[in-house]
Amino acid sequence: MLTINKLKASIGDSEILKGLDLTIGPGEVHAIMGPNGSGKSTLASVLAGREDYAVTGGKVDFLGMELLEMDATARARSGLFLAFQYPVEIPGVSNINFMRAALNGKRAHEGLEPIAGKAFLELVKEKASLVELDGRLRNRSVNEGFSGGEKKRNEIFQMAMLEPKLAVLDETDSGLDIDALRIVANGVNSMRSPERSFLVITHYQRLLDYIVPDFVHVLVDGRIVRTGGKELALELEERGYDWIKEAVTS
Amino acid sequence: MSVGAKTTPALGPQTIRQHAASQKQGLAHVSHLSEILSFENESNDVIGALLKELAVPHRRTERWKYSPIAGFWKKHKPATCVTIADSNCEAQPVPGLDAYRLVFVNGTFDPLASDLPIAAGVVCMPLSDAVRSGIVQREISSVEKSEWFAALNGQFAGEGMYLAVEKAVELDRPVLIHQRQQGAGVPTFLRHVIELGAQSQAQVVNWSSASSDASGSVNTLTEVHVGEQAVFTLDKVQDESGEVHHLAFEAVDQAANSTFKIHTMTIQGAWVRNDLQICLSGQGCDAHLNGIFLPTAKEFVDNHTTVDHREAHCTSSESYKGILYGQSTGVFNGKVFVRPDAQQTNAYQQNANILGSRQATMNAKPELEIYADDVKCSHGCTIGQFDDEALFYARSRGIGEDEAKAMLVHAFIGDVIESIAIPEVAMEVRHRLSEKHNWDRWDDANLL
Repeated sequence: MLTINKLKASIGDSEILKGLDLTIGPGEVHAIMGPNGSGKSTLASVLAGREDYAVTGGKVDFLGMELLEMDATARARSGLFLAFQYPVEIPGVSNINFMRAALNGKRAHEGLEPIAGKAFLELVKEKASLVELDGRLRNRSVNEGFSGGEKKRNEIFQMAMLEPKLAVLDETDSGLDIDALRIVANGVNSMRSPERSFLVITHYQRLLDYIVPDFVHVLVDGRIVRTGGKELALELEERGYDWIKEAVTS
Repeated sequence: MSVGAKTTPALGPQTIRQHAASQKQGLAHVSHLSEILSFENESNDVIGALLKELAVPHRRTERWKYSPIAGFWKKHKPATCVTIADSNCEAQPVPGLDAYRLVFVNGTFDPLASDLPIAAGVVCMPLSDAVRSGIVQREISSVEKSEWFAALNGQFAGEGMYLAVEKAVELDRPVLIHQRQQGAGVPTFLRHVIELGAQSQAQVVNWSSASSDASGSVNTLTEVHVGEQAVFTLDKVQDESGEVHHLAFEAVDQAANSTFKIHTMTIQGAWVRNDLQICLSGQGCDAHLNGIFLPTAKEFVDNHTTVDHREAHCTSSESYKGILYGQSTGVFNGKVFVRPDAQQTNAYQQNANILGSRQATMNAKPELEIYADDVKCSHGCTIGQFDDEALFYARSRGIGEDEAKAMLVHAFIGDVIESIAIPEVAMEVRHRLSEKHNWDRWDDANLL
């Protein structure tokens, strides 16, 4: 699905990813944990194609394609999805028109006709119920005036609409109360399949109680320094990151 | 009714100091035009004096600082085409619009392409007919007394639309003025006079188009008197290809409890300046001024507006939005005067601009002068660029960059277009804009 090989990326003069390796197979759920400033969100941004970051080395293979050669639109149309840590508000563009344009962009990429109005509305209804997104929010401007929880539910709704092959969730749990967390996690879990992979970036083990990962990676200073199963997350929760940092430096 | 009689001077344009070289240029232009144009107004003694007394605009004066007028001084020549049949365009530029119609080609009324309203309580005819038959008398309007180019219009405009709607009469269909500029170097002068009786209602659409080889200049002066409790809407659409210099004055006078709504939509035009002056001369008036402009390449669009709150309990609401591409230049100058008697005024002004390229320029200046103490006045003026975060967010969902920008454009100016009362006009504006900017998905974006 995704193979990241010695990825280096910087913003301005500071190098943030310093040779990161990661392989994600089909149907797998990987979690990346790490202290503040370790490069978690940078990884998500670089994968999604944000131009603010300069990729200075390495390769990323996504379904046999050179991901780093593609622009953000092409990455999304090929099946990569990023759930933003801070979803963007777009006043004046309705959520539903936004999704229609997104879906039709993907369909055009696959050689399909634009989706018919009725079929689209039915799809919206079905997918919105996954994350309990009410009709009011569907017709409002994209994320405008949404609460933190509503924004994150909207991200998962968009993911469900676009049915990506690989979904990167960038701190989707931040700012969520326990009920919203459960709703978001249920949305994600309902989409798990042998063909779809997830990369879940998080600070806290809490999210991983709901979205159970196959692998947990620890990112420190721009590299993955330890990989384990879901029990690694519990250990981090208990002991913090310092012991790993010390183990790495010594 | 007499031309110019009903419009009161706005508390507006300060006296401009004459500039010798400009003055010489202007007067040379007057004699040049006199040789070309067969028509000169009879009251030209007074006008002639005004053309000498008033300062010809120049860059050292605030009102004309950003508006280069050299293009007006180019050599003009008489029109060869004066009928729509001889032009390469349709008489009716707005598909599906059921409207009365007055067509002017290079400033000449085309009766065969026109469809005048015949209804009780409505007088609508070419201005030349109205003057000839004594329905209107020629007087000098306040804007002619204060603006050199308006005085020039006074000298040379012999044609236009005369529309009078009697008390309590509602015009059953909009009146469409289609003003066509065809061919090279033609000087066009038009004077429209619109008089709405008390409690009457009318809608006018002023659509200007031009052939791709058109150049020369268009100078239009529209005088509007909106009677007590009358409701008048004016939708101006400027869609001129070629190299036309287009200068339009609107002098609007509102009586008590009247409503006036104007949309000024500049789709294309090499050089366009709109000078809109609204006097709220009675209590309880309501004025709405909205505009959009989306210049590309080296186009120039200037909107000067003045709202003069003279009486109490009036409301004015103004929103102009521009997106500037290429090396285009935009100007917005919005004056709002609130005179000492105009208590309980509610005035709102907004001018928002997006620079769509690094080479585009926008000059924006809100000017509020408030002399009453119990009023509510607010204004906002912004110049920014497309929101990179929003663009990236859209792209990360698989939306193409151009389409994402078209969405943001729609989000930005959509409310102004949607506030146009005549749906066919709004639709055609949207259509013409998408053609100009190659926004395939513009219409799609608004489907649901």
